[in-house]
This record gives sequence, structure tokens and C-alpha cells, in this order.
Amino acid sequence: MGENIIRIRNVKKIYQMGSESIPAVNGISLNIRQGEVCCLLGKSGSGKSTLLNLVAGLEKPTEGQIIFHKKHIERMNEDQLADFRQKYVGFVFQSYNLLPTLTALENVTLPLIFKSVPVKERNERAMEMLKAVGLEERATHKPQEMSGGQQQRVSIARAFVNRPPVVFADEPTGNLDTRTTYEMMDLITGLAKQNNQTLVIVTHDLELSEYADRIVMLQDGKIEKIEDRTKGKGEGEEGHD
Amino acid sequence: MNTKDLISMAVRNLLKRKLRTVLTVLGVVIGTASIVVMISIGIGMNESFAKQLEGWGSLQVIDVSPSGGMSYDEESGRMKQEKKQDPLDAKAVETFKQIEHVEAASPVKTSYFMIGAGKYVADANIMGIDPAAMEALGYKVEEGRALTAEDSKAIVVGGGVEFYDPKLSWEMRYSSEPPQVEILDKKVDVSYDWSYGTRYADKKLKATKMEVVGTLSAEGNDSYWVIMPIKELEKLQKARDDWEKSKYGGNSSSNRNQTKEFDEVRVKVDKMDNVQAVQQQIKDMGFRASSLTDQLEAMKETTKMLRIVLGAIGAISMVVAAISITNTMVMAIYERTREIGIMKVIGASLRDIKLLFLTEAAFIGLAGGLAGIVVSFGVSQIVNLVAMQQGSNMTSSIPVWLYAGAVAFATGIGILSGYLPAQRAMRLSALTAIKTE
Repeated sequence: MGENIIRIRNVKKIYQMGSESIPAVNGISLNIRQGEVCCLLGKSGSGKSTLLNLVAGLEKPTEGQIIFHKKHIERMNEDQLADFRQKYVGFVFQSYNLLPTLTALENVTLPLIFKSVPVKERNERAMEMLKAVGLEERATHKPQEMSGGQQQRVSIARAFVNRPPVVFADEPTGNLDTRTTYEMMDLITGLAKQNNQTLVIVTHDLELSEYADRIVMLQDGKIEKIEDRTKGKGEGEEGHD
Repeated sequence: MNTKDLISMAVRNLLKRKLRTVLTVLGVVIGTASIVVMISIGIGMNESFAKQLEGWGSLQVIDVSPSGGMSYDEESGRMKQEKKQDPLDAKAVETFKQIEHVEAASPVKTSYFMIGAGKYVADANIMGIDPAAMEALGYKVEEGRALTAEDSKAIVVGGGVEFYDPKLSWEMRYSSEPPQVEILDKKVDVSYDWSYGTRYADKKLKATKMEVVGTLSAEGNDSYWVIMPIKELEKLQKARDDWEKSKYGGNSSSNRNQTKEFDEVRVKVDKMDNVQAVQQQIKDMGFRASSLTDQLEAMKETTKMLRIVLGAIGAISMVVAAISITNTMVMAIYERTREIGIMKVIGASLRDIKLLFLTEAAFIGLAGGLAGIVVSFGVSQIVNLVAMQQGSNMTSSIPVWLYAGAVAFATGIGILSGYLPAQRAMRLSALTAIKTE
């Protein structure tokens, strides 16, 4: 495994519900390594999704630091975050989040459009990506004309088309049946490994963690246990480097 | 995100909600059309005033007369004695010619002679001008031609100049139709003997032969005048004075005619819009100056209120249209919250989001503006048709700048109306947005 691409330092996220403070993430420190498949595993309410949102810059932590390469994500303003997401991050969501009025190909080209990639090049790259997820024949179909599995494949193609160093997947198979789930996990981890991209998967499904290099188990906003499967043995909470 | 993608995405988004887009555009169409039509009626009224005045003479000509008489003082509200300034002489004419926007200036002297054509005569007001400037001064030559620099013994006769048979009694003259006398391209007699043609005429006096090279329209301020080169007029006046002196002895009545000062100077300005400014400059030199634009300004002033009210009606519909654009865009944001969130998450910059919404609003404005000017054109035609049938001067006229301005204005209104919603879309939290169902 490569060097640490993301370093999380004592991060807390506390929501205020009236007079009550609810700590969703309560002091987590973690390093995510370049090229690994890291699984954030936990039950509903364990803080796994919040942690993902914090790392992806969709939410600001109440406390602590999140460092991507040498950049402090928690200190970025909206403009810098948008730029950060455009350059370094891909997303796969549970609910696919495709734009319903665009075709599969157009959905996949969207990140490249925002990046001002010329038409010819972006269409080629998007088509290549659709081929990689096995949907080249569905390129002109709109999302509602496709099955859930197919829609998630489009969404995976979209997340990888820009070749971001990190891809975040939030319950990517939550809406899919078992068979499709495995197909999808093979696909997504395969793509990540192919280009040495880092993949962070959030799930509550223990079986999915089979695909991970490291499993970070969360409970009540804290890391309960980290299992490094590349070494074949459990490891405690990682220290600061 | 490049401009082409931005525009194509904006247009697609608008086409996606066709009915709402069309309804919003319709609001802009009505707003644009009402502003354009209202302004066009204001312009049309002013134009018909100008046309009306054009019948009286050229709107580009300033009449300058010497000062030194009494004039109304606007500040005190009393009549006051004007200071006697420089004489209105050849030097003054040259000065006027040097003023910016002045195309021509001609001295004017007037006199009163008899014109004889066959057995008929006419009592004619004679206006002596610089023949070279006649074309420029905007005399409405109906037949023949205007005087030119080469002309000497040539005249142009106004259509209102009436001939009569001097042998007839007064009663007979007024009760009968004036005779039609063909004078164009013919030589006529010009005489300063008021008894010319009658049996009291001075038999020793020979009339001057002059060729009628053109006639003026029978309408307008100049129709009762006979125009001749000023040099000829001065010669005739000189001859008359000598004749009168020999006949009656002593000083003649028209000593003034011997001075170097002109009765009037006519100044031609290149454009109507510059007339008032030139006129003011001449006034500042101490002369009296007036032009038909004075009347035009007065007429415009009386309808100013009406034009303001018309403009306000148009403006109100545009404000309503602007609000409707804002409403449409705010609605769009509610509907597309999730879409905005997705775009933000997959790499749209804040600028992209803002520009996308601004572009959509601008297109609503642009489409409304374009359709609006087409509608305006149609309405304008109808207004003119009705005005023509009723003989009203409430006509509508749409200059090109108004068309262009209307489209630009409508687009601008679109952008302005879209600004707030765009700002709002930009500030949406990506996370909240994608969680919205």
C-alpha cells in the first residue's frame, strides 16, 4: 500500500438539536492510504456516513483536521471545496443520483463538462468508461429506462471518468439485489485497483467488507476496531504519523 | 465549464419545462411590447408634430434677426430693452458659418415689388438671399429648380403668390377666381413702381426682366414670397431709391435699405437635433434667433406628461414580467435542488451553478424581448392604421435603436431577475441538496 493520502486528526462532528448536543462523529483519527479499498463499516447511527461527508468536504467538522495530501479540507471555502471535488474526488451514491433528463453518456460526461474538457475528448472518455462498466449499448438511454443495477453502473462510470485519486461510495449497493451487489462490488473495486485509485466505501453490510483491504468498524461516532486484511491481522487505532 | 456547454445546458433546462418557460416568456413579451409600443407612440407623436411643422418650413433653419428691440426677460418677467449688439452684416454671416453643425447661412433682405406677367400683375413680397445657399436652406421647390450661385436675373416664385388683372376694379378682383398664370421658365417683369400695369404707371420706367426658374409649394411659410438673389434685390432697391428721389425729392422712406445690415439671416443646421444648440450660440452672440424647433419643443412639452404616463404603463408590465421571471427561477431551484446538489458534488463550481441560472433567466428575457419586438411591430402597424383612419397624430414609430434597446433591456431584466435565484442556487448546501427527494 502507498503513502497516506488522507489523514484524519481527532475529528468531531456535533449536531445541535435544540439544547441537546448529538456527537455523530466523536473524535476519530484515521489514515487512508493511497490505492487501498477502505471500508467504513457500522450500523445506522454509527457516524460512518457523517465521517464520509466530512472527508469528502460535504460537511465541515466541528473540531479536528482532515488533510488531503497537504491541504486542510476543513479550512477550505466553498469555492476551494468545489475545486477539490472536481479535481480529486469521485462519488457513488446509494440512490445513484443521476440527472434524469440526461442520457447515460451525458451523465458520465458531466464531470468532464464542468472541467471544460473538449467535446470530442470527453465523449471518447465517457464512452470508454461506459464500455468498462458494460453499458456501451445503453449510452443513449435515460436513467428511467434502465434497471437499478444499470443506473448504478452509470453512476460508477461517472465517478471514475475523471480518474480521481479518491472515490467515495456511500452504501453503493443499498438499493440492489444480492447478485447485482456482488457484480457491482467486483466492478467498483476492480476499477479502483486498475488505476491505483483509493476507494472509501461506507456500508452496514458485513459481507461487502470482504472486498476491502482495511475495514474500519465504527460505533457511536468512534472507531471500534480496524482490521487490516492485507496483513491478515487486526490493528488498533492508528497513531499520528 | 465553457460557454457553449453552459448555453446548451441552460436551453435544455428551459425546454424541459416548456409550458412554464413559455408562460414566463409571454410575460416578458407583454412587458417588452408595452414599453416599446408606448415609447413608439411618444416618438410617433413627436414625429407627426415635426412633419406638421415641416409643412411650414425647414426644421433645420434658424432665423436670426438683429437685436436692439424690446424683449421679454424670463427672469424678471418684464419687457426689457435689449442691448444693441454687433450689426447683422456680412461679417456676422461669416461668423455663423463658422459655428459647428452650420451647413449654410444666407443674408436675407426683403422688399415689396410688382411682378408682371403678360396682362397680369402680382404684388409680391420679395426675399433676397444668397442664391448659392437656397438649395441648402430647404425651400420647398415644387417645379423647376432652386437658385444657384450662377443665377443673377432669376427668381423663384411662391405658389401662394396670386396674380390679378390690374385693369379690373377691386371688387371684381376679389370676387373672381385668381387667374392661372403660367410663369415657369418664362421671363417676367419686376418693377418697383406700385402703379405698374395700370394707367398711372411711370411710362419712362423700364421694368427689369427676370426669369422664373422655379416655383415653391403653395403651402408653408415661404409660399407668399418671391425669392431672388440678394444682389439683384439690392440693385433694385438702389434704383427705386434713386427713382423715388428724382420723383418726389428729398430722402426716401427706405433709408434703412442702404445700410450694410440685413433684415434677417437664415442659418441652416446639419441636423434637427443640433438646432437648439446652434440657436443658443447665436443668441449668446446677442442676436435674436428663432426656429420652428421652438414650436416643436413647445408641442413636445405639452405631450410630455402623456408620454411619461404611457412609458410608466409599459414599465409596470415589465416589472410584473421581471417578478414572474424571478418566481419561475425560484420555483426551478426548488424543483432542481437535488440536481443542483448532484452537480455540485460531481464537480460544478459555484460560478457554474450561478451562471447556469443566470443564463436561463437571460434566455427567458432574450426570447421575450425578441418575440416582444415582433409583437410591437404588429401593434405599431395597427395603431398607425387606426390613427390614419381617425386622422389622429397619435401614430407609432419604432426606430431601430428602440428594437435593439428593447431586446437588450429585456435580456438585462432577465439577468437582473435571475440574480437572486442564482445566488440562492449557488449557496445551496450540496449535502442537503442531494438528500432532498
